Formats: sequence, C-alpha cells, structure tokens
Amino acid sequence: MRALNALSGVFVLAVCVSAAAQARASNPASSCGQCHAAQAKSQPLTPMARAIEFVDANPTLKTNPKMTFRREPYSYTVETVGSKSTYSVTDGTNTISLPILWSFGAGGQTWILQLNGQLYESLVSYYPNLSGLDITIGDERITPHNLEEAMGRKLGQGEVKACFGCHATHAVSDRKLTLDTLEPGVTCEHCHLGSSVHMTDAIQGDLDTTPPKLGKLSTEDLSSFCGQCHRTWEGVVRGHFHGEINVRFQPYRLANSRCFDGTDPRISCLACHDPHQDLVRQDSSYDSKCLACHAAPSTATHAASANIPAGAKTCPVANADCVSCHMPKINLPGGHAKFTDHEIRIVRPGDPYPN
Amino acid sequence: MTVVAAMASVKFETRAADCNRRARRARAFVLQLLIVVFPLFVVLFPIFVLAQANPAGFDDLVLRATAAREQNDVQQAIELYGQAVQLKPDWPDGWWFLGSLQYASDSYAAARDALSHFIELTPEGGPAFALRGLCEFETGEYTQSLKDIERGLSLGAANQPRNEKILRYHEALLLTRSGNFEAALQKYALFGGEKVPNPELLVGIGLAGLRTPLLPKELRADQQDLYSAAGNAAFQFISGNQKAAQEAFQDLFQRFPTTANAHYLYGYLLFPTDPDQAISEFRRELEVSPSNAAAQLMVAWDSLMRNNYSEALAYSKKALAEDPSLAVGQLVLGRAMVETGNVKDGVELLEKELQVDPNNLETHLALAKAYSKLGRKEDARHERLRCLEIEKSENAPNARP
Repeated sequence: MRALNALSGVFVLAVCVSAAAQARASNPASSCGQCHAAQAKSQPLTPMARAIEFVDANPTLKTNPKMTFRREPYSYTVETVGSKSTYSVTDGTNTISLPILWSFGAGGQTWILQLNGQLYESLVSYYPNLSGLDITIGDERITPHNLEEAMGRKLGQGEVKACFGCHATHAVSDRKLTLDTLEPGVTCEHCHLGSSVHMTDAIQGDLDTTPPKLGKLSTEDLSSFCGQCHRTWEGVVRGHFHGEINVRFQPYRLANSRCFDGTDPRISCLACHDPHQDLVRQDSSYDSKCLACHAAPSTATHAASANIPAGAKTCPVANADCVSCHMPKINLPGGHAKFTDHEIRIVRPGDPYPN
Repeated sequence: MTVVAAMASVKFETRAADCNRRARRARAFVLQLLIVVFPLFVVLFPIFVLAQANPAGFDDLVLRATAAREQNDVQQAIELYGQAVQLKPDWPDGWWFLGSLQYASDSYAAARDALSHFIELTPEGGPAFALRGLCEFETGEYTQSLKDIERGLSLGAANQPRNEKILRYHEALLLTRSGNFEAALQKYALFGGEKVPNPELLVGIGLAGLRTPLLPKELRADQQDLYSAAGNAAFQFISGNQKAAQEAFQDLFQRFPTTANAHYLYGYLLFPTDPDQAISEFRRELEVSPSNAAAQLMVAWDSLMRNNYSEALAYSKKALAEDPSLAVGQLVLGRAMVETGNVKDGVELLEKELQVDPNNLETHLALAKAYSKLGRKEDARHERLRCLEIEKSENAPNARP
C-alpha cells in the first residue's frame, strides 16, 4: 500500500510540477484544474460559481445599461456606464446615488451598497422573468419612512457574514468579514476546505492533506453540508419559514419526502445533481434517478430489483418525466420565478402546498 | 403608579411605609382584576345560591358579607364570609372572596387555605391558582408557589397586562431561585421597555443573569449594587437599547472584573442576534471562571451550530463534568456525539433528555438527524413531524440549548 501511495504521489507530483508555474493563477479553478480538469472547466459556468459578481464582470448589468422602477413615492434607476454601475433612488426632492459594489445572484440579482460605512441590500432587484426591476424578495413588507430606507435594507453583521459566506469564497475568516480576500462565487475552496493546502502539498508529493471526499458523505450528512447554504432542515424549522417561500430550501423539502432515507445514496443531493455542472433542466434526465427505487419489477434490472426499497411503489400513470408531476414547479412568492419542489410526493389537484 | 411599581409592591416587602401603601394599592388592584375573571360567579352565583335551599341564616350572611366587601370593610367581610363557608362549605364564591380578602390583608396562610377549598370546588380556576401561588410565595413555600403560578398562567390568569406582569415577575423570581436562570431571563423579557424600571426588578434580573439562586430579599446589603448593575445592563439589552446595554456591561465588567457569569450574561443575551460577539463573551467568561459549566455549554452549542463537532464534544464533556445536572447538557453532548460518529450513544442521551423535557425542539431536531443517520427512516420522520408541531405551537425563538 505504501508503494502504491508513493507511486501515486510520484504521478501527481509529475503532473503538478509541470503545472507549478501556472499554479496560483487568478482563477482558483484553473489551479485545481491542473489535476481536476473536468470539474475546473465546467464548475465556473454554474450558477453557484456566479453567486456573486463584481460589477465589471456582470453581464446582466451590461446588457441592461439603464433600468428604472417606481414605487410611490420613490423612483429607482440602475445605470451602467463602462465598468461602473450606479444605483439611485429619489423622492423627487432628494436623491441617493451609490456605486454598486457587488451583485448577488447569477440570474436574478440583488445589489450590495455601502452608505456611511454600513452595508445595505438594495430594496429593488433585477428579475430575469420581468426583464426588469421589482422589490427585492423578502422586502415586500418594508414600508420605507425615508430615502435611506427606500434605498435599501441595512444589513446586520451576522447577516452580512451569512450572505457573503455563501455567495463568495474566503469572505469570512475566523468569524470576521474579510472582503479583502473575497473570491467571487463558490470556488473549489468553498466546499473543499483545505484544497489550497492540498494543492501545495500535492506538488511536493504529499497527499496526506487531501480534503475529505464529499461524495462519500451519507445522504443525511450531505443534506446538512449542502444545507449550509441551501438551508438545512433544522435551519428552516428554526427560521420559521412557512409556506411556499420555503420551496427554495431544497434540503428541507427533500427531507420531508416520504422516500427520504438518510442512509440511501439514491436520494442524496448528489444522486441528482453534480455541483460541478450546470443545472440540468430536462425533466426526463432525472427519470433514472426515480426509477432506481420506483422501477416496476418487470422493467428493473435484476440488481436494481433486488435493491428496491420496501414500500417503494411504481407509478400507475407513467414511467417518464417523473419530476414533472411528483416535483411540481412552485411560484416563489415575490421571486418572479418558479422553483422545483423537492418534497417528492403524489400531487393531487387542489391539494395545498404541504408544509 | 407604574405597572412595574405595582408589580414589585405585590411582593409585600415592608421596608418602608411608602412601599406598604403601594403594596396595598397594588393588592387591591390585583383583586379587582382577578374578580373581573369571574363575572358569572359574581353576578349569577349569589342569585343561584339564594334560590337554593340554604342553611338557616346563610342568605343573610351572604348579603352582609357582600355589603361589607363593597364598603371595603375587609375585616368584617372576612368574618362574615368565614361564617358563611362554615355553614355551606360547598359554596365556591365564599371561599374565593374569603381567600382574596385574606390575601389583601396579608393573611397569606389563611388565604392559601381558603383558595385551596375554592380550587377543590373549581379545579380550572386559573386566577385562584395564581393567587394561591402568590400566597405561597409570601409563606415561603416556593416550590409549590411556582407550580401554582405556572398552573394559573396556563389556565389564563394573565388576563390583563398588569396581572401578567405581576405573575411573570414572581414566576421569574421563583425560576431563578430554583436555578432555572435561562427561563427566568425569558420571563423578564416581558419587562423590556419599561420607562422607569423598579430597583427590585433590576435586582431580580441581576440574580437570574448572574445565575444566583436567591430572592432579592435574601441578598446581603453589600451585594445589592452588583446585582442591580447586572440587572440594569440586562434590562437595557432586553429593552432594545443596545448602546446603553454595551456601556452598562462595560461598566459592570470594570467595576466587578472577577464576578462570575457577568460575561456569560452578556453573551447569552447577544447570542440570538450576534453569535460571534456572544462567543467572545463566553470565552472571556471562561477566562474569569474557567470552570463555568454554563459558559462551556454555550461554547459547545455554538460549536455545534458552526459544525465544529469535535470542539462541541470537548466542551460539552467539560461542562457536564463540572455540573452533571446542567440543564440540556445531555442534549448538547448527545448531539455532539451523534455528529462525531458515536450515533448510538448519542441517541441514548438524547432519548433520556427527551424524558426530562419532552417538548424541547432542539432535542427533537437532534433525534431526527440521529435517527436519519442510523437509517431509522420512520423514526426520523416521526421526529421531524413532532418538530414541526412544536415549532408551530411555540413559534420557538432562535436556536439555543
């Protein structure tokens, strides 16, 4: 075994040394990509990798150079000139005009602004389905009492860390916000903690610091892991998120499914999603995942048939496009978007949203 | 008279004549409010009673007792109601008026006994339980007092804001005395925003905050300043005056640098809104008093919430070694064990904890996860459904053990 390790170390060493000159390139994925080429190529294109963007690399703002919105008595303008975007709000008499510092979200976008040293979440956001602006989701109930409140919602320290902690990499260190070291979006190190050390050590032939393989986590632990940003089951319960608003918290919804089993990898996040790849939106592509448990004995392979969980039923209606019925798309209130409900179930007409 | 002054004066401290006057007015007020709860008794019951075949002389006694009560002739009313219930022991109204009037005249043991008769006849009378609890508070029967006040509250005795404050204040004092400090602090949250906090309220909050199982009247005179300062700092915090609270706590730390639980108190209050600052305070607490089990437990809990399970395990073990009876200690240790791979033993601890506190949301959350990790799918589902029930019924506050 030691010989094998040594050999693999030599192999990795050879690959990595040749890449050493390029290591620490500006894109961390490209550094890791010297060994993990496929992941490094596809991951930067995912919405997670674009969860936060600097203004000068923001296609949404570039393709929408001037957006306006009015919510009486305030008027909003988001204007981009060159590599700078400005967010303005006026009540007709006074105006607050601030540079957009960061854009949160790969599709819909909410902007982070700074006023008098405090960070604010913009009160209006961009929604692709509207091709324009509307009130930021969650802020619908805010009735601004002055121009500053109309501009945005002041973020507390904890909230700032939580936002940047999920949307960026290296934005929080030792419980402190470290925006000077921020890397936009979810990069390798965000999930694979210690991957930088691993890369440095691997170049030296030391593979002892290889980060734990996340794919080996149990389904329950994986839900908790992904739930750090997508919200864990218990986080949603503690946060009192009731109604359709919790449809975007996939680990919570999935764990509510009758078929959820914390030890069965067929229902884990990774069973259906590869976080290094863009989201697959074709319903039929998930059929094999469903049929891994719900295949009719006559159609299942012998091996699959032997592993069908007790009580797993077969669908009397169809054996294709399962998710189109059993994981319906739900309108996210205030979000101008539909989310796939991960609470897998038999949906009957007129049934209320299960919560 | 402010609400808090009314509430505090019901404690019947006799330090000064002014306090006595306020106490009497407050007691009269409590009585009036509690009596409002029984309009049917007040209006209908005498008619009903008079319509029955009553013992000879009873009806006359009732009329005279009512008149005496309405004329504020408390001693005469007590005498007459006492005679009436001797003639007709199954007359609940008589016991109620007798007990409440005795309470108003500081005859707490007698009032307690009269109210016990009333409760035997009317077992769901929330105000009677509450008033008996206040009597027991005065007679020093603290365990029973807490039980009765809590029962009264559960039966709707807090039917008026002032009543609620009086009862919650006593409940908080008793919870503090029984060592249930966190629960006491939660009760004191009701008083946040009072414009002129009563000095005894501040001492009460200080006792809960500094985890001292005493009543204000049991403190030595030279201890008042410390507890008042701690109570004031916590009061500012629960009133939403963050800046004033910060200054008050800094002042407390400077004046009493070696006092145990001061940093713990600040951390505990900060935890729901600023866990990072809170954890700094818990760690400072451990510098002041390294064996502080409560601070160790909060560090363990914070570590759990941050997925630092090995630290959570170490601190929860330390905490329980210091104080094996620490409330929810088993929960934190059990959860840490589950997360660090010792799922079976962790589940055992969590199930034991559930026997002690069957409605603790955090225990159910931990068990749901533990069962899920063990592949006990249906048990996990059952626990999750239970969590949702508890969360919806309690609208439970931010997570903490």
